[in-house]
Amino acid sequence: MAQDDKIIEQIVDRYDADVGMLIPMMQDLQSECGYLQAEHIRYLSKRLGLPLSRLYAVATFYSSFRLAPKGAHEVTLCMGTVCYLKGAGSISEAICKKFRVEPGGTTRDRLFSFQAVNCVGACALAPVMVVDGKYYDGVTPDSALEILHKLLPAEEAAETTTKEAQRD
Amino acid sequence: MISAPTRFTSGADIETFAQKLRSEGGPAAKLVRVCIGTGCAAKGSRKLYELFCEAAEQSGQDVRVEAKCVGCHGFCERGPIVVVEPGEIFYQRVEEPDVAEIFRETVLGGRVVERLLYEDPGTGKKAEKADEIAFYKVQQRIVLGSNGLIDPTKITDYIAEGGYKALAKVLSSMTPDDVISEVEAAGLRGRGGGGFPTARKWRSCREAEGSPKYVICNGDEGDPGAFMDRSIMEGNPHSVIEGMLIGAYAIGSEQGYIYVRNEYPLAVEHLKMAISQAREFGLLGQNILGSSFSFDIRINRGGGAFVCGESTALMASLEGRPGEPRAKYVHTVESGLWEKPSNLNNVETWANVPAIINRGGEWFAGIGTEKSKGTKVFSLVGKVVNSGLVEVPMGITLRQIIDEIGGGIPDGKRFKAVQTGGPSGGCIPAEHLDARVDFDELTKLGSMMGSGGMIVMDEDTCMVRFAKYFTNFLQKESCGKCTPCREGLAQMLYILDRITDGEGQVGDVERLEGLAELMEGTALCALGKTAANPVISTIRYFRDEYDAHIKDKHCPAKECRGLFRYKIDADACKSCGICLQNCPAEAITGEKKVPYVIDQEKCTLCGTCWEKCPFAAVLKV
Amino acid sequence: MPTVTIDGCKVRVKKDATILDAAKKAGIWIPTLCYHPAVPSDASCRLCMVELDRGDWRQLVTSCNYPVRRDIVVYVSSERAEAARRGVMELLLARAPESGELKALAERMGVYETRYPNVTESQRNCILCGLCVRVCEQIIGKAAIGYAGRGVDRAVAAPFRQPSEDCIGCGACAAICPVGTIKIRIHADEQEVEISPFKSRAKLLVCEKCGALVASKQVSEQALTRSNLNSEEFRASLRLCPKCRRLQTAGQLGAATFYKK
Repeated sequence: MAQDDKIIEQIVDRYDADVGMLIPMMQDLQSECGYLQAEHIRYLSKRLGLPLSRLYAVATFYSSFRLAPKGAHEVTLCMGTVCYLKGAGSISEAICKKFRVEPGGTTRDRLFSFQAVNCVGACALAPVMVVDGKYYDGVTPDSALEILHKLLPAEEAAETTTKEAQRD
Repeated sequence: MISAPTRFTSGADIETFAQKLRSEGGPAAKLVRVCIGTGCAAKGSRKLYELFCEAAEQSGQDVRVEAKCVGCHGFCERGPIVVVEPGEIFYQRVEEPDVAEIFRETVLGGRVVERLLYEDPGTGKKAEKADEIAFYKVQQRIVLGSNGLIDPTKITDYIAEGGYKALAKVLSSMTPDDVISEVEAAGLRGRGGGGFPTARKWRSCREAEGSPKYVICNGDEGDPGAFMDRSIMEGNPHSVIEGMLIGAYAIGSEQGYIYVRNEYPLAVEHLKMAISQAREFGLLGQNILGSSFSFDIRINRGGGAFVCGESTALMASLEGRPGEPRAKYVHTVESGLWEKPSNLNNVETWANVPAIINRGGEWFAGIGTEKSKGTKVFSLVGKVVNSGLVEVPMGITLRQIIDEIGGGIPDGKRFKAVQTGGPSGGCIPAEHLDARVDFDELTKLGSMMGSGGMIVMDEDTCMVRFAKYFTNFLQKESCGKCTPCREGLAQMLYILDRITDGEGQVGDVERLEGLAELMEGTALCALGKTAANPVISTIRYFRDEYDAHIKDKHCPAKECRGLFRYKIDADACKSCGICLQNCPAEAITGEKKVPYVIDQEKCTLCGTCWEKCPFAAVLKV
Repeated sequence: MPTVTIDGCKVRVKKDATILDAAKKAGIWIPTLCYHPAVPSDASCRLCMVELDRGDWRQLVTSCNYPVRRDIVVYVSSERAEAARRGVMELLLARAPESGELKALAERMGVYETRYPNVTESQRNCILCGLCVRVCEQIIGKAAIGYAGRGVDRAVAAPFRQPSEDCIGCGACAAICPVGTIKIRIHADEQEVEISPFKSRAKLLVCEKCGALVASKQVSEQALTRSNLNSEEFRASLRLCPKCRRLQTAGQLGAATFYKK
């Protein structure tokens, strides 16, 4: 816990304990610790002299904050208008069905966290999927599943492919 | 190449430095400019830049060869984009294997690599330079002009191009009132969607009581399909900083904020670098250019909320609170951030200011229409051949944008409508394509210019489903504070879901219209007030589609699952049997040499046969 | 002092008073839900809508927070204003169909039913007026509850949806709630007060003499520190319930009178 307190202090110092920079502070905290843990939020609220209910309101208002552990990988699917026109809806459905995950959630085995966002600003590349910061353009339901399939550890990936081949 | 920063103590310093930079550039320099805007970067352009850098280092020529990374050219459809100087040879869709060829042929040999040039899909003619391409010909790039020319991570590039000259002029020879008068003469109106006269806002803030005063840049570009601000922040961040400096001087502010949405990490990075470099050169901080004017900028990031594009919600976010709008009966120029007078403008609005000061308000007012002056950057996307960012004078028609610049609709499809103004806007059908694009014209047609998003749709788009998409988007983004927006959107979505599921009831359109009127009159902020626009404008121009869904349980565009049928085209069917094998309802029968048939009674309308048919013999009817 | 002409009735109000203040002065009733004189107005319920005359057009504004800065003309009973208020109430009734208080207010407005189905979930008829949040933060100074989530999922909750450590069990939230969502529950056996539905609890003072439950310990602490009644004598009197305290005082008075002679 003391180690984590140090991280929080560093973050607070980085922004001169400016309450107006609460959101960037919480973003940095989430970056460093994977997600926003209750204990950290409590510490931060005391450190900044802000009510805990305010930090909780901020943490639950903005889409970028996670209050639960995330997956090993981060998958973001753009659901902006152009991507939607070019079929992002069916890509989302395919991912949710195949991996049994909901947008905003994480797969059971913590393989990846799935987020649907409104427009990453690369509309000419629609539909766009971002995996761990890497952009994939012109994805289809099939190609998206293929890309995600590659995230599985090697043996698991091979196993799943065999199972599917047998089923088909 | 000057690397050590020089702290400017007067406007004259900038001019001297700029001249020095320009002369060091040298007329014989060979330069490769590689776009690293988000669109091209997503297609691997950073690696191209690295490869060109390596090639340049190893070339051992006596003439200096350099590679430079530049910001978004706007033609993202054709990325990655590489331009070779001298000659301004414009290459598109460049891939890693092409680097060696471009370097050998064009950079060193002065020859053109034909296959990488842009080819006009209609005439087949190849274009060597950007201004030969239809996409660029009609454009007038004031704001985006330097994108593609300068390296956004080097302030020296901006200065060499004439950057910060406007600031020098303002601080040495203009009073704050002079500045406001110049912007007023220009007729600049807010580019973020509101279209409010900028000079009037600045003047109100200047006259408001209270201090300190804040100057804010709204970089929370949330309209899906819009990425104009991203390109400006990534590709020419100093234009925004210079604009804010000039505005702050006019208003009497010493502290500025740039609020960038979280989803634009490259914009945040480039702005941070730009601010840091500006400080080193004495362009931000205390006593700028030897005057008594001091100003600095902080960057704050959004947390992922479309509503934070609304000015009061943005200010709440800057105060470390949830982004909930508040009443504007007392304007933010009087009581805004921390209840102090605050002037908020959009990225593109700020980026226009240096040009207005440099070339004069009268010059700016000479472009555009009577009430909408200057140019506007639009993001032309969707079902259009050339998609990307275009900057055109106000008053150009929709047809010119979509056909001349955009190259029309791909795959031989028919134009159906264009959505302008994002989720607060509406759709405009073919009959109004000759409407002139400006703030007022589009509003008359039931839409609005908004921040500049232009999403083109073709005959395959179901307008009811499209309206539902926006309603769903807004429901997710609604802050939930006020009753009409929170409950109204949920009620509208409930009705739209019913309609697209084939359970529409007579009176549903009237119900939607009633909710729209209620929300427009009683919602707290602009998000709620305009939330029903996509629905209302589609009802206005495509009422027949709503009626078909409700009365006939049929989707004319054949997009809503369950509201159209599949039929096998007997002429196209090759009896391969793939559809039969994959049909989960065993609804297809057929044998070799005989067209296959779908039993409509058994068919569950899942669409698998349509997806799998290799001969496109399954039709939607 | 500016004049407000409200439904034809002229009243003068202080600068920056609200249209609602003017209406009260004129004796004209405007329905409100999220407004309360004790806390600043958020104008989030949108029920108190009236029409403001703008010359060639009329603007719908919320009366509880519109500041009067010069002479204005307002219409409360116009068709458009009434339709706006009715529409908002119908949306609220659809959201919170089981609140007796809400129905009573609706009936007073002349709204007896709603044309909308119930499509959003409210926790125990909460209409998100925010009065509880505002009173706890700004009057009580504890901010034990706040908002969580956004849009249709927005709710009032204690942080992490756990009982709040900051709650002092004063019940101000329950008192100010206009629709009966928040309730105070006394747990006699545990000598605790619970604020439902937040599950926050606070210890109660117990009468030394008769064992009756008096008030939340923290509330009395707060009352002592905020007022100047922090003497030992006063503190001692707080260890008795009001009934026992009266008996004790009566006894002391009686004894004094008796022995004075």
